[in-house]
Amino acid sequence: MKILIADDEALSRRLLERTLDRAGYEVVAVENGKQALEQLSKPEGPRLALLDWVMPELDGPGVCRAVRTRSEQTYVYMVLLTSKGSKEETVLGLESGADDYLTKPFNAEELRARLRVGERILLLEDRLVEARENMRFRATHDQLTSLLNRGAIMDLLARELHRSHREQKSTAILLGDVDHFKLVNDTLGHVVGDEVLIEIANRLLAAVRSYDFVGRYGGEEFLVVLNNCDPAFAPGRAEEIRKSISNLVIQTAKGPLTLTMSLGLLLSSEWGKKPIEELLHEVDIALYEAKAAGRDCLRISKPSTAVELPPATLPQSVRLRH
Amino acid sequence: MSKKEEDFSGPVWNLTELLERVDNDQELLRELLNIFKEDFPQTIQSLQSAVNAKDLKNSSRLSHTLKGMLSSLGATRAAAAAAKLEALSSAGETASMEGALNALEAEAHRLLPELEAYMAEVRH
Repeated sequence: MKILIADDEALSRRLLERTLDRAGYEVVAVENGKQALEQLSKPEGPRLALLDWVMPELDGPGVCRAVRTRSEQTYVYMVLLTSKGSKEETVLGLESGADDYLTKPFNAEELRARLRVGERILLLEDRLVEARENMRFRATHDQLTSLLNRGAIMDLLARELHRSHREQKSTAILLGDVDHFKLVNDTLGHVVGDEVLIEIANRLLAAVRSYDFVGRYGGEEFLVVLNNCDPAFAPGRAEEIRKSISNLVIQTAKGPLTLTMSLGLLLSSEWGKKPIEELLHEVDIALYEAKAAGRDCLRISKPSTAVELPPATLPQSVRLRH
Repeated sequence: MSKKEEDFSGPVWNLTELLERVDNDQELLRELLNIFKEDFPQTIQSLQSAVNAKDLKNSSRLSHTLKGMLSSLGATRAAAAAAKLEALSSAGETASMEGALNALEAEAHRLLPELEAYMAEVRH
């Protein structure tokens, strides 16, 4: 673990450096508070710090205060080194943001023990951050496919629509539905159904650029947001996405399977500034048109077309390859 | 310690404490003594100038540095002398500063031969 030592006096600094080096720390030693603050501000900088109280440029409590005013950075455990012993000064040191203090000259055993306390605190912080990140991921991602969940992709889409409107660019919204997915579940079981959804999610992710969004919109419905997509190329890219599903065999526990996807496409530049709900409703209509046209195809939502919903055709059986 | 006497309690050089602090690392001990030999004369010279010029700020800063250096080295009495000069400088008691500096120098005169003797002993 990295540790910072800040002491302007060479002999004490060297003594600390060697003591901590021997205790297994990766030591960064500096001569004043300004340098200490620089080191502690680096992205992968030390998270444990031993700071001498009296230092040129910036004293130990000054470093503590500066570090504590930063937000959104990992916690730094700071120990002040002081030859001062009065209660007032101890209080002043701790109130500046130090976690602990040690009086000089230090006892090596006590120093190591106090730093282990610091390490425990940092470990605790790491665990909390990890738990928070896990929860954040779970709150925004679909558990089965790990794609963005409905709420998260709607948020991102709303932000993207706002941006593309402001920058006079176009966002392409693609709503895809796996054809006859219910039959897979009914005939082959939910385990296979889940395998299919995971594979389709992976293919959708592979078919888009890193800055596009793919989300699970509903059971077998997927929402793909192509950010800053030239309207002239959008249908071609949507076709590529459709083919990435229908051209490939999915290996499942019950054998290889071929599935297709119907897609509705909408280009935000053609619709002006409309609420997201309205745009999603329109792209949903286009998707139904694709279903009505025989599935495994793409329909584009145009503002002028008056849409009448054709009656849904009866589902064909899922083609199984053996 | 008494305020009037220019004498400090404790050992001139607590080698036992220092050896414990360096975990019996003779090489590190030699290195520390070399740093001391280099830094101490410079610092005390600057301190003498500051005391003569009644420069409280630098006198306080330099005696603080010496206090840290001496206490890390286990020079208990000299460290106490430096601490006294630091306190007087911080309090602005210019009249007593020269006496405190002399006391510090006297402690240093006791300390330096001990360090030299040790270094000569471990050199071979």
